[in-house]
Amino acid sequence: MTIEIFHLPDAGEGLTEAEIVRWLVEPGDSVLVNQMVVEIETAKAIVELPIPWEGVVWAIHENIGSVVPVGAQIISIDVGAQPQREPVLVGYGVKEDALVTRRPRRESTHRVKPVLAEVTAKPIVRKLAKDNAIDLSTVVGTGRNGEVTREDVNAAIGGDALAPRGSQDQLGERIPVRGVQRMMAEAMVASAFTAPHVTEWVDVDMSRTLEVVERMRVANSERITPFIVVAAALIRAAQKYPRINSSWVDTTEGADVVIHPFVHLGFAADTPTGLLVPVVRNASAANLLTLSAGITEQMEKARSGTATPTDLTGGTITLTNIGVFGVDGGTPIIAPGQASILAMGRIMNRPWVVDDAIVIRPIMQLTLSFDHRIIDGALGSRALASVAKYLADPALEELVLKD
Amino acid sequence: MTTARASPKSSNPAVQLLTPEGELASHDTYSLILTDAEYKLLYREMVFVRRLDQEATALQRQGQLGLWASSLGQEAAQVGSAFALEKNDFAFPTYRDHGVAWMRGVDPMKIMQVYRGISNGGWDPFEHRCNTYTIVIGNQVLNGVGYAMGLTLDQSEDAVITYFGDGATAQGDVHEGFVFASTFDSPVVFFCQNNQWAISQPSEKFVKSPIYKRADGFGFPGVLVDGNDILAVIAVTRTALERARSGAGPTLIEAFTYRMAAHTTSDDPTRYRHENDLQNWKLKDPIERLKVMLARNGIADRSFFDAVDAEADTWGETLRTSVRLMPEPPPESIFDHVYTEKHDVLDAQRAAFIEYHEGFADSGVH
Amino acid sequence: MTTELTMAKALNLAMRTAMEADNKVILFGEDIGKLGGVFRVTDGLHKDFGEHRVIDSPLAESGIVGTAIGLAMRGYRPVLEIQFDGFVFPGFDQIISQLAKVHRRTHGSVKLPITVRIPYGGGIGAVEHHSESPEAFFAHIPGLRVLTPSDPQSAYSCLLSAIRSDDPVIFFEPKRRYWDKGVVDQSQAIADPWRARILRTGSDVSVVAYGPMVKTALQAAEASEYSLEVIDLQSLSPLDDKSVAESVQRTGRLVIVHEAPGTLGLGAEVAARIGKSCFYNLMAPIERVTGYDIPYPPSKLEEYYLPDHDRILFAVDSVMEA
Repeated sequence: MTIEIFHLPDAGEGLTEAEIVRWLVEPGDSVLVNQMVVEIETAKAIVELPIPWEGVVWAIHENIGSVVPVGAQIISIDVGAQPQREPVLVGYGVKEDALVTRRPRRESTHRVKPVLAEVTAKPIVRKLAKDNAIDLSTVVGTGRNGEVTREDVNAAIGGDALAPRGSQDQLGERIPVRGVQRMMAEAMVASAFTAPHVTEWVDVDMSRTLEVVERMRVANSERITPFIVVAAALIRAAQKYPRINSSWVDTTEGADVVIHPFVHLGFAADTPTGLLVPVVRNASAANLLTLSAGITEQMEKARSGTATPTDLTGGTITLTNIGVFGVDGGTPIIAPGQASILAMGRIMNRPWVVDDAIVIRPIMQLTLSFDHRIIDGALGSRALASVAKYLADPALEELVLKD
Repeated sequence: MTTARASPKSSNPAVQLLTPEGELASHDTYSLILTDAEYKLLYREMVFVRRLDQEATALQRQGQLGLWASSLGQEAAQVGSAFALEKNDFAFPTYRDHGVAWMRGVDPMKIMQVYRGISNGGWDPFEHRCNTYTIVIGNQVLNGVGYAMGLTLDQSEDAVITYFGDGATAQGDVHEGFVFASTFDSPVVFFCQNNQWAISQPSEKFVKSPIYKRADGFGFPGVLVDGNDILAVIAVTRTALERARSGAGPTLIEAFTYRMAAHTTSDDPTRYRHENDLQNWKLKDPIERLKVMLARNGIADRSFFDAVDAEADTWGETLRTSVRLMPEPPPESIFDHVYTEKHDVLDAQRAAFIEYHEGFADSGVH
Repeated sequence: MTTELTMAKALNLAMRTAMEADNKVILFGEDIGKLGGVFRVTDGLHKDFGEHRVIDSPLAESGIVGTAIGLAMRGYRPVLEIQFDGFVFPGFDQIISQLAKVHRRTHGSVKLPITVRIPYGGGIGAVEHHSESPEAFFAHIPGLRVLTPSDPQSAYSCLLSAIRSDDPVIFFEPKRRYWDKGVVDQSQAIADPWRARILRTGSDVSVVAYGPMVKTALQAAEASEYSLEVIDLQSLSPLDDKSVAESVQRTGRLVIVHEAPGTLGLGAEVAARIGKSCFYNLMAPIERVTGYDIPYPPSKLEEYYLPDHDRILFAVDSVMEA
């Protein structure tokens, strides 16, 4: 409760006193700002005086007829008076509902939040980043106080060239590895660092193979490529030396080498979506023509993006043609779960010795990487040599094999 | 409508030393001898307690108090029983025992704080040897017995008086208090003011056997006294206190009186009781009968009575003004005294509270 | 039938309707008969149904609850009144030890279709013990249902459902709203009280409240520059967090309001559940606007304790600026 005392105001014009003519309110009355509360008479006129507060009249200090000087207390108002309440058995009762408006706040009371984490981001944004293998600390935050927003993470996923957080280097490119590519990378690592790789190579005179290719082209509308012949050679080698067509399987007792009954040939295919390895199932039962058809079909599927998971899995041995890129050989990594991989290089005319004379022959390098746990040096060498022997005279080998 | 009994059922077993007509009476067991000064003091105290009650009732009507629990009609029971106390005795009142608080020296303004909503306690119990008001029915009976048990352990000669009403005698706490006090022979006086009403319920409905007789079942004496007879109340209470101090254990006193006003100021007794009751009990007024006795025996005269009234008038006006001007505690004081020791959670809440309130544009803080 | 009633009258009507439909429904409590209750909620029922169906009890909450259990076992459907929130505690033992457990203990043989009506909450300028909010104690006890209406319509519907339920129901009536008027459609009695209800749709923040704070939340929404969705929990046990989750999934922001002290109040339970179910929807930490962890203050200071629209709007600012 707060009492405000109203003094007879100086109305100017030399007014020094006034007579109270009539009170317009009495103690206990509610009054509003500027409400007239008293009539006074000065030397000049009768005027009404307004009260400058809202509240309840507390006391009247001067009676009607009194002549009071300017500055005298004439009426007191309780400006802190509570709104009317209907009391209840145990208390004042409820407050009547005034119009509910918001009591204004100062401008400056925006919270300064302590930085709790190095990177500020909402839970859903963190999840988005994590699911897409984005390191939040490398994303520039454009939100309040440097918060990383959903848009920031989406931009990072989309591969936009955003400068890494805090990095001075504006050159280069950061390409996220995700999805299938990430899985392949992981498989690569698993294979390379689990199977002890040994790589051997041999050069082969491809003239007889090229002859066969040419003769088959003339005889059939089917066009077979040297790649198909190499595939056939590998398949024959796998039939002769089954351990190159096997898998190393860890068991509770140790490990098993599982020799596969069929050759499901996987071959590396370069597609618009990257490297895929489609598989020709049961390639060992095929002759050159059906093998060619199978490979062509799978290649088509892979290139057009219509290959199914079945098309892309289940291979037991892999052939990769690196010669199309103009190189000879290398150290290919065995596909996970397999025992060996054969790479064929480019076919290029080179000097060759035949009957102690130097002649020009189309020479191709073959590279065989094999899992040394499964295949020892002798076997690997023999297998590679048998591929080379087949390619040196495919027609002869086929005839021999028919027995 | 229910008409309450005008007198106890049995052939007036109530102890009475001063009749409603102002005649002194004698009793086989109880007697009282007071000086003239003491008689006049008792009269004055009852007048002031009644005036306090009237002022508070008026203040509530003016919205200056949230509510008031009137003690009108119960002045003799309260002033008399409290008069019997020694300085170091401890009283455990309810929420209606303004005469008790008054006699213990509690500043009435402190009682006003409770009913105005400034404080839930009002005063320091140790300063006046009078507990703060207890609003939960019956709690204070157990608390009082406990204090008395402490007196026993301390081998003190002090005693406790704990107050409750007729309605409270249905609560478990009260019965448990009887059991504990009886078990430990606690130096406690159970003072029940049977003012006939528990809000709207007449005591005869729930009290099938007189309250004072229950003591028998618990193993200590019970005595019925005319609650509007201040002399009998003093005599009976003194005896009970002596018994308590001697180590003999508790006594139950039933002071038969009447709640002349409503349960609280916003109660409407016309809904459940008849005007006739009030008229009957007005004839048994505690102050009137003492006044008659004082006048008849030449102990006090008109000028004394007028002087007391005048003094009460002046005092009443001071009380009214003081209540209206009672300052409100600062808002952040709501966090005070929740614990005895430092409490980080509350400290943080208090700081946030202050910061929040200073954050208003009109808070006057820069 | 549709009429405009105060909440007190709506509760009265619900009890009358229940008593007319089933003569095993009896009312039991202090001063509910002749006086009609200290807030007149049972006004007129004693006159119309008699003293054997509207029974004034002795002054003993433990006695009221304890004997009601026996009455229920005898086939009655007692509707109890505890006069004030702060006085329920002598009866707490019977409520926890017996009322909540008997059905389970007897493997379903014994049902206790008891409704315990308790006026609760502050804002009426009262003395000590008359402004408490003890609902969390009861919502925490398995075996009890806890319901709290916010306006006359829900008061009517919820009380009828509580009385008709065969489970024990603790029914908290927001006493500061007893005098609020609202439309009561009696055919709405079938409306589901065990689910939360959305009283105001919005897109920016979900504001969850119950009992007396629902009106305060609606007032805040009216005065807010943001679009607030106001949800009345209604049922505190079981808690319909699914409805709250659906809202937060749309708004991403949650403010919970209750009078009871914040620590271990209903808000904590809602926050824990929503924090889990809506973790990836939340755009800001969950805010609770509650009473402080102090005993309820004297009435002159209660406005500083009780959440009001300004405090709610302050919390809304926080979650919007997070």
